[in-house]
Parts: sequence; structure tokens; C-alpha cells
Amino acid sequence: MTGALLVAGLSATAFGGALGVWRRAFSAGLWLQAAGAAGIAIAGFWALGSQTSLGEGFTSSFVPRFGVDGLSGLFLGILGLIAAPALVFSTRYLRPSLRGRAVGALTALFVLALALVLCARDPLTFLAGWESMTLVPAVVILVSRGADRRARQTVFDYLAVTHLGGAATWVAILLLAHAGAIGGHATIASGSGLQTAIALSALVGMGTKAGVMPLHVWLPRAHPIAPSPVSALMSGVMLKVALYGLVRVLVEWDGVLPVWFGVLVLAVGALSAVGGVVYALFEHDLKRLLALHSIENVGIIVLGIGACLVLRARGADLWAAFALAAALLHCVNHAVFKALLFLGAGAFERALGSLEIDRLGGLLRRMPWSGGAFLVGAAAIAGLPPLNGFASEWLTLQALLHVPRYGDVADGVAGALALAALAATAALAVFCFVKVVGLVLLGAPRTPAAAAAEEPPLPLRAALVFLALACVALGVAPGVLFGALVSLAPWPAAAGTHLGLHVPGTGSLPAAWIAVVLVGLTGALVLLRGRRRAAPAPTWASGQLVEPALRWTSAGFTKSLRLVLEAVLRPEREISSKTRGGVLQEVAYSGSVPHLIEARLYRPVERAAFRAAVHARRLQTGSVGTYVVYLIGLVIVLLAAVRLGVIG
Amino acid sequence: MSAASAASAAVEVLGGIALAPLLPGLVQHWKARLQGRRGPTPLQPYRELRRLWGKSMVDPEGAGPVYRLAPAVVAAALAGGVLLVPVAGAAPTLGLGHDALVLLGLLALARFAVAAAAWDVSNGFSLMGASRDLMLSVFVEATFVLSLAVGLLVAGTTDLRGVVAGTAGAGVWGNPALALGTVAFAFVAIAETGRQPVDSPDTHLELTMIHEGPLLEYAGRDLAYLHWAAAARHWLVLVLAAQVFLPHPRGVWAQLAVLPVTLVALCAALAVVETLLAKMRVLLVPRLLAVGAAAALLGIAAWIAGSA
Repeated sequence: MTGALLVAGLSATAFGGALGVWRRAFSAGLWLQAAGAAGIAIAGFWALGSQTSLGEGFTSSFVPRFGVDGLSGLFLGILGLIAAPALVFSTRYLRPSLRGRAVGALTALFVLALALVLCARDPLTFLAGWESMTLVPAVVILVSRGADRRARQTVFDYLAVTHLGGAATWVAILLLAHAGAIGGHATIASGSGLQTAIALSALVGMGTKAGVMPLHVWLPRAHPIAPSPVSALMSGVMLKVALYGLVRVLVEWDGVLPVWFGVLVLAVGALSAVGGVVYALFEHDLKRLLALHSIENVGIIVLGIGACLVLRARGADLWAAFALAAALLHCVNHAVFKALLFLGAGAFERALGSLEIDRLGGLLRRMPWSGGAFLVGAAAIAGLPPLNGFASEWLTLQALLHVPRYGDVADGVAGALALAALAATAALAVFCFVKVVGLVLLGAPRTPAAAAAEEPPLPLRAALVFLALACVALGVAPGVLFGALVSLAPWPAAAGTHLGLHVPGTGSLPAAWIAVVLVGLTGALVLLRGRRRAAPAPTWASGQLVEPALRWTSAGFTKSLRLVLEAVLRPEREISSKTRGGVLQEVAYSGSVPHLIEARLYRPVERAAFRAAVHARRLQTGSVGTYVVYLIGLVIVLLAAVRLGVIG
Repeated sequence: MSAASAASAAVEVLGGIALAPLLPGLVQHWKARLQGRRGPTPLQPYRELRRLWGKSMVDPEGAGPVYRLAPAVVAAALAGGVLLVPVAGAAPTLGLGHDALVLLGLLALARFAVAAAAWDVSNGFSLMGASRDLMLSVFVEATFVLSLAVGLLVAGTTDLRGVVAGTAGAGVWGNPALALGTVAFAFVAIAETGRQPVDSPDTHLELTMIHEGPLLEYAGRDLAYLHWAAAARHWLVLVLAAQVFLPHPRGVWAQLAVLPVTLVALCAALAVVETLLAKMRVLLVPRLLAVGAAAALLGIAAWIAGSA
């Protein structure tokens, strides 16, 4: 039944993608794809809820095999849950031009590639899916951006970084296949060199794909330039599928990892969480800002995985399972609100033509449906109760709090530091999204385009409102998924299913009650305040008139933090003034916060690579004579090696 | 429901809602005395609230629904916090549970609402205050969590009722972990309540405002809600300090009896600190909080070493 629904969903997606290529069936094709995605979502969550395995099991041999189990089901559910509204959004967002139809068909291909990774049960299919889920978005960006030179450069960077990192994924999967450990059929000895090699290469390879700092450089460049529905799939689902691989390898197949590796994962997660949100704060382009926030949220998920690994190594199996459930719950939640925010950004871009954050403003009044949904998404990503981001952040905080409880001094203090980092991240996310909400939705429109913005057509609004409702539902009833997520741990662990999160050893999170109390109290206080008869008055600016020039900008609002973190962030600023005849003519100010990891780590590597290439090019002369010399040299070296007994 | 838990529920709700304004009133009163002034009576906040409740409101131009809803959301979040923080080891669950980390979420909600309202009216001074508040919140929240973590680890649960029971007795002074946690929480308490040296609650100069800044445009009943919320923040933080980090007896009745004494003593301590110290540069406050965070980390290390 579930299997049939899944196959039907995947075929509908494929057929819809093919149908949409025909100009007159463009919209119908996208709707069919959306219906297929909805089928995938239902089948996936059903497989998660019933904990049944369909199809074949995992194998280490290189024979194509397909199947679904609980963990695959969860991520298939996420895939469908995000793809369906994104495709409904596409029906009116994409135009039935050649380019639009190509993007529509490629979206279907992207969904199928992601599903391939999740349903693969052998190393070869897994790696094939892994590569195609990297390549398809690159093609989408190239198609949608056409001849844009910078976009091509970005796609090149994206492919270079993810393929260099991706090599480590191959190493990890092939080592596992060689040891026969895929599917956990053979146990890898704890603390062995093989285990460490697999774990490290999985962290590098899959971490690159998930956008974990310091391997994230491709993400904030590639995500924003894709069309919004594809950005939503990239941030919402593709990163999650990479994390799915990480969970499979680190938690399921690679045995019980040593404590130090768990601490390393915690460190990487904390760096991504704090680093992602700090750079997002100083970003002025809405989609780039959202992409940087994906790094933050991936960091939070990785913190949950790290807590799981440390707790497992310390023998606290129940809390290790809770930590894993926290990470997986945040996967679902982040997918929902990040897709909502990317689609919302798409709706704004469609209405205004620009996403520079200082040139929007007042959109809540102009676009109440899209703006309201975006506001819900912003509050959810900021981790405010009673929305879904809060529930999974709460659970992750609890998991991190249990690291010092079961650990030694060193890993305990590491857990406490990660706890503090997550708390700071939550506060920074509030800071960042207050800024976004304020500049995009509130206040007066900052440009004529913003003042004339209009609500998008119904399918776009419907997709946004659906995702906003999902944020509320997952926030009010996070416990519905919790029981199933805990039992996904490959060791015995169980938790009851409630509406809220009832976790032993905590004060528990009665999420539905919190929502009722907060909404009820707010309503009561509004009623108590009575009818507002308010006299209008100008805003107070020390007696000045509030002119557009006095309006606060993104850079101004975040200046306090920039000054505090100056020693770490090294912001650059430049003030130049022109004077003529002793009279000041104009003053120009420019400031930016450079990304230190790029400037300090990648630039030098890049320069060294170019220098090495200059030298390497001398070998490549193009004259046949030189190549013959190379060949003769090689033969001599080989003969000498055989003679000396090095080879052969 | 036993008599003890009914009594603690009553103290929790009535105390938090009705007695909260008394706490900043006491601080102001004693501060004036320490500075050689007669000063207002401790009941002054109640008079302010009554006056504001009777006044009509003023809407700045361009204010939208976010601006109008914010005071109610802030007051609701803080009222939720009042229901959440137990005054004794036994209190019935009043819907919200008693989890320590939920409190952080509620405080974040209040902060978000205030700052979003500041953006809605685009008042530069409000935004300046909101920006500083949010910047400080990053460091406050990290230190808050770490200092709470000490108490939570000592008690072995994040249920605040269990924490109140688990840290009861004179153990605070004998347990180095809890002592260090207390030091850390002292910094958090000053920052959360917006007192000197972090923020000056008496200021009338817009350029120096942190917590007062975003309230500039509000008037009438909206302002009354926001003033009450500021007082409720004092209540939450000081009750946590009294029942987790300072010595408190084991029995529920005894806890309820000692609480007022501790709260009054804490208000006096805030008044002394505020008299002795001048306001810091706002950019230096994170360093102050970092000291607190370091103390809490040491406390956690001490707890692990002690329990191993």
C-alpha cells in the first residue's frame, strides 16, 4: 500500500515533469508533479509512522537495490512536504517560456534524484543519486540564469567545492562497502583506524554537501541565484538529504564512535550555527541571508548529531536517541520554515524585482497574505514559542545539557560550550529576523516599487499559507513525531507519543498548552485594554521631522554587534570625501563584513592552486617530442622500480 | 491538590502579577535613600500604572497591527513566565509546565515583539534601544543558559520545581559548582532586569536608553502593559535567584515564608549595586557577561569533577 503510493507519487512526478515540457500542458504538468510530491510525502510519513521496511534491505555489494525504511521514510516525507507547495508555487511563478519549462522539468528530475538517494539500498545507487542531486541544481541555475557570467562562475565554484568534498563521500561509502558494513551487517571495531577514516571522510564529504562550516563556501553563493522554488528545495531538502547520509554513516553503520569524534562534531556544529547566523546578520540580500541561515540551522542539526554521538559513546543510550530525535525534528522544522521563507522571498522578488533588504519595507500592509505567512516563518526560524523552531531547539538544548551530565570533564565542558553556543545562536537568530521582518514587512515602503507591490496570484499565496500552517501545526504538536523519531535510533529506545514533548528528566514542553495560554492571554489583554481611541502623532525624533534619510538601515541596526565583535569579524569600512576649494562636496561611505573563512582559508589555497597550475602547465607543451620523452621516462622509471623490487 | 501546592500556586500567580511592581519600587526607594534623597514610596509603580491606565493613547503615524499587538504579546509572554517559574518546590502545572528552558523562549518572544514594534514606527531611538537590547541578549542568553545549567545539573532535572527542591538547604555555600553558578546568575540578573551598570532605568536621555528606548512611542494602557512586563521581569529573575541560587529551606511552607525576605534583600542588594556603580559603556557589557559565563563553565566543570 505504502510502496504503491510511493511508486505512484514518483511516477506522477516523472510524468508531470515530462508533460510540462509541452507548452500547453505546462501548468498541468506542474500540478501533476505537485500531486506526485504529495503522494511521496504521505507514503514517506506513513513508512515512518508504521516503522515498516519496504522493498529490499541494505547491501554492500554493487547490485542496484531499492527500499524504504523508517529513516528514509522521514526524509521522503520532508521531500514531499516541501516539494508539493514549491511546485504549486511554481505553477504561476515560472513562465511557460522555454526557460521556465526547462526549469519545471528539471525540478522533477531534482525531486527524483533526491528520492533516489533516499531509496538507494546499495553503494552504487547511493553514490549515483548523490552525484545527480549535486549536478541537477547546477543545471537549473545555468538554465535559469542564461548567459550571466557571475552565475556561471558561481556554478563552477559550487561544483568544484562539492566535488572535491564529494570525493570524501566516495571514500567513506566505498570503505564501508569494502568492510561489508552498509546496513550494519558487519560491525566496525570501535576506535579502529578504519572507523576513524570512515567517520572523518563522511564528515568532510557529507558535511560539504550539507554546508557545514568551514566547508560551506558554495552554499551562500549557489542557493540564492536559483529560482525560488528550487532554492526552497535546495535549502529545505537537499541539505537534509546530505544530513541523512551523515546520520546513516555516523549513527547507524560506523559502530560506536569514540568520544573525541563526537566532540569534533559538536565543535563543527557550534561553529556552523554561530558563524552562519553572524554572517547572515550582516548580509543585505534577502536570499543570501536566508542561505546563510541554512548554515546556522544545519549547525543546530549537527549539534544534535554530535550530542547523540557523545552520549552514545558514554553509554547514555536513551538520551542519545533523544538527541538524534532532536536533530531529525529540526530537519523537518527547518525544511518547512526555510522553504516558506525562500518562497516568500520569491513572491517579494516577483512583486518588486529586487531583494536588497534596504529597498523593501511595508510589505505586510501591501501583501497581507504573503507577508503574514513570511512573518510566521520568521518567528519560527527565530525559535519563538509556540512555533516549530522553538520545539526542536528546546529538545536540542536539552540533549546538549545532558552531555555534561553523563560525560567526563573535557567532553562535559565541550557540551556546555555547545549549549552556550546554541543559546547565543537562538538570540542571534531573533536579532537577525527582527531585522528582516522590520526592513521587509514593517514600517513605510522604502521605494516606489515597494509602495506599489501587489499580492501574488492564488497558488503562490496558497503555498505560503500552507507552509505557515505547517509551522504552527508542528509547533503546537511536535510530540506527534517524537515517538517515531526516537525509535529510529538503531539501538533500543522508546518514548511515548503525546501532543507535546514529554521527556523524562525535563520539565517537558506542553506545546499545545503553551500556544493556548499565550494566545489566550494575548487575546484577554487586548480585550482588557478595551477599544483604542488613539490620537495620531508624528514619530518622535527629538523634534526633527522623520525623513526618508533618517530611516534605519540593516547596517545601522546591526552596528552594535559589529562593534562588539570587531576583534573577531574584522569589518572593513571606508569613508572618502571630496572637497573642492575647501568646501566638502560629497562623502562616500562603504562598509562590509568579509567572510573570514573565505578570506583566510580559501583565498590562499586558491592562489596556491593557481600558482601550481602555472608550473604544471609547463609540462603541457603540445609538442609530440616532449610527450615521447615523458613516455620513455615513465618506462625507465617503471623498469627501475621493478628491478628494485618496489613493484611487481 | 494539597494545601501546600494550592498555596504556592496562589503565591505564584497573585505574587507574580500583583506584587511584581513592588520590586522595582523598592529598588528605587532604597536607591534614593542611599543617595540621600527622600525618593518616591515603594508603591510608586502602582501609581504610575493607575495613571497610565486612565490616559488615552497616542498612535505614531504609520503604526500597524504589529505595533498595536506588541504590548499585549509582551505582557502575555511575561505572564506566561510568571505561571512557569515556581515559587516553591511544589506547585501544580499551570498549563505551561515548569521547564527552565521554556522560560528562555518566552523572554525571546517578548524581545522580538518589542523590537518589531520599534521597526513598525521606524523611530530611530526605539531602534537604537532595540538594537542594543538584542546585541546584549546574545551574551545574556548564553550566560543565562550556562548559569541555569549549573542548577539543573545539581538537581538532575530541568523541571524548575525539581530544581527548587534539589538545591534546597544550605548546600549552596558548600557546593562550589552552585556558588560559581550564583556568581554567573548575578550578572544575568542585573542585565535581564535592566539595572546599572548594564542599563540605567532612570534615564531620560534617548541616546543612552536600552530597555526604555523601544517604549518611547507608547502611551496609556499599552505603556502600562509594558511597564508591568518590566516589573514582571524583576519578579521572574529574582524568584529564580532566591529559589535556585540562594539558600532556601526544604519544606514548601518554609520556602514560601522565606521567599519575601529573600526578595526584599535582593532588591536592597540591587539598590546598593546601582548606587555604587556607574553605567558602563554598552560595548563593554559583553565582557562583563563573559566573566559570568566563565564562572558558570567553571561551575559545570566543578560539578562534573565532583560527581565523577
